[in-house]
Amino acid sequence: MSVLAIRDLTLSFRLWSGPVEVLHGISLSIARGERVALVGESGSGKSVTARIVLGLLQDQSGARIGGRVEFQGRNLSGMSARERRALRGRDISMIFQDPTSSLNPVFRIGGQFREVLARATPGISDTKARATATGLLEEVAIHDPARVLDSYPFQLSGGMNQRVMIAMALANRPSLLLADEPGTALDVTVQAQTLDLMRTLVDDHGTSVLFISHNLGVVREFADRVYVIYRGRIVEEGPTRAVFEHPGHPYTRALMAAQPNLTGGGLPRIPERDPSFLAPLVVHGDRT
Amino acid sequence: MRNVLSQTLRRTGTSLLVLVGVSILIFAIARVIPGDPARVALGPNATAEQVASLREELRLDEPIVVQYLAYMRDLLRGDLGVSLYTNRPVAVDVAEFLPATLELILVAGVMMVGLGLPLGILAARHRGRWPDHLVRVVSLLGVSAPGFVWAVVLMLAFSYYLGWFPVAGRIDEQYDDLRHITGFLTADTAFQGNWAAFGSAWHHLVLPAFALALSGIGQAARLTRANMIETYERPYIEMAEAYGFPAGRIARRYAFKPSLIPSLTIIGLDFAAMLGNAFLVEAVFGWPGLSRYGVQVILRKDLNAIVGTVLIIAALFILVNIVVDLLTTLLNPRISHAPGGRA
Repeated sequence: MSVLAIRDLTLSFRLWSGPVEVLHGISLSIARGERVALVGESGSGKSVTARIVLGLLQDQSGARIGGRVEFQGRNLSGMSARERRALRGRDISMIFQDPTSSLNPVFRIGGQFREVLARATPGISDTKARATATGLLEEVAIHDPARVLDSYPFQLSGGMNQRVMIAMALANRPSLLLADEPGTALDVTVQAQTLDLMRTLVDDHGTSVLFISHNLGVVREFADRVYVIYRGRIVEEGPTRAVFEHPGHPYTRALMAAQPNLTGGGLPRIPERDPSFLAPLVVHGDRT
Repeated sequence: MRNVLSQTLRRTGTSLLVLVGVSILIFAIARVIPGDPARVALGPNATAEQVASLREELRLDEPIVVQYLAYMRDLLRGDLGVSLYTNRPVAVDVAEFLPATLELILVAGVMMVGLGLPLGILAARHRGRWPDHLVRVVSLLGVSAPGFVWAVVLMLAFSYYLGWFPVAGRIDEQYDDLRHITGFLTADTAFQGNWAAFGSAWHHLVLPAFALALSGIGQAARLTRANMIETYERPYIEMAEAYGFPAGRIARRYAFKPSLIPSLTIIGLDFAAMLGNAFLVEAVFGWPGLSRYGVQVILRKDLNAIVGTVLIIAALFILVNIVVDLLTTLLNPRISHAPGGRA
């Protein structure tokens, strides 16, 4: 059974000018322990997909969600808001773009960590939480956990905060980790280090990952399988190697050509819209 | 912590300068206002000699600089001069009337924070739904009508028609001979274990304090709501949501604390402003406080009392500001834990 199975997911927002559909039938699945990337440009619908999986958009008035999202065989849309909330931070967790602004600026790391741990162990004692957090921070190669726990996020470097975020995300041993452009706000070497670390840890714990990115280089390193999303549709999917070596869809090829290359060649011009971009290679069910 | 301490010391130093400035200003203004204080004090039937002798006693014929220096010399010894209105040392008047005003303002301040902030949190958490609309209407009402209007309205409704609260005064007459220790009747009655009088003091206090607090409650609620709505857009709140922190806990803790820091300065100013606003509420409820005293002495051009009252109120205002700055610093780790000395 797959950890996450999305079938024919649609999302539209009700605006005063009428409904606007932003996801037109997304289907994807992630097996246990699998790392899957969702690749596309800004505004293609990557992040909203992750937020639907987390159950954050379901309660928003004005958002209409169609299709099915199954987490470990349970249909998310059939759950109550309370049941969806219960999954968050325990069975599903998330890592964000900018670790420093994702941590609350006026609380110490230790307190925020305790709150995360309390999701799985309600009423966890301060000493217990601190001991657990110390162990988890050591796992992400933080050598002075005590100092970090007593610090405010602004006192730590971006890379350090990202390690903290990774430790928090995996603290309750979730079965699914959503990584929304993790560390994009960090500089490239730090991003690479922290991604390496994340990869090792999810391997160790057998965590499934939905990795959202526009950075193909990172995706190639990280993911087992790739879904390419364009304007709210999945246009191509396949094992990472296959997609990178033989991109079938014109948009995938354009996206790859857009990767800056050390050996020069400059950036190609990608048209904002191209009719061929909208012709999918992947056909799901009776939609599209 | 060193930051906090040095900041407080610095602020206290500049505050003393401000107080000296205020004293010069109010001293000059009180004397520039037309009218002869000696004539006002003695009444229309006094002879010219009587007026002249009082003027001499008050040093009114000397240059203003000499008058000021003499006043400051007395002030440093704790002598605020004698009031022409009550014929008592101003210090004695202040000691009698100040606790009443402070008691009123403190309770109003507690109401402002204790009701305004939770209402703001409630509105922000349920933004766009009925609790939000209700809070916005109520806070707009509070902000848009001045305290004395509320004083009259509340008095009419709850004292006159419903009869739930007394109309005026600080305590029932039967407790008038109660021993005063601090001048705070709620505290004095409690110290003496006189619970009936304690109840009576609170009974008299609630309505005027609420009237005085209403605009502050509205302001605090609106400010908290606005700042919280801004905070709710921050990534760290999305993170808290993504990790399933309980919604109430996010509102009361993770969204509230960052939002409180910018609100605090204004809430502090509002609180300090109650010192002045208290006058009309004190007048409506017959509350024997310092603000009411201040206005009466101004009308009688009672120089010593005017300067004394204004200085006390200015000192309190500055004190409140220092406390608020201190709180802001303590709440904001980016200041209290800043590397290096200066905050």
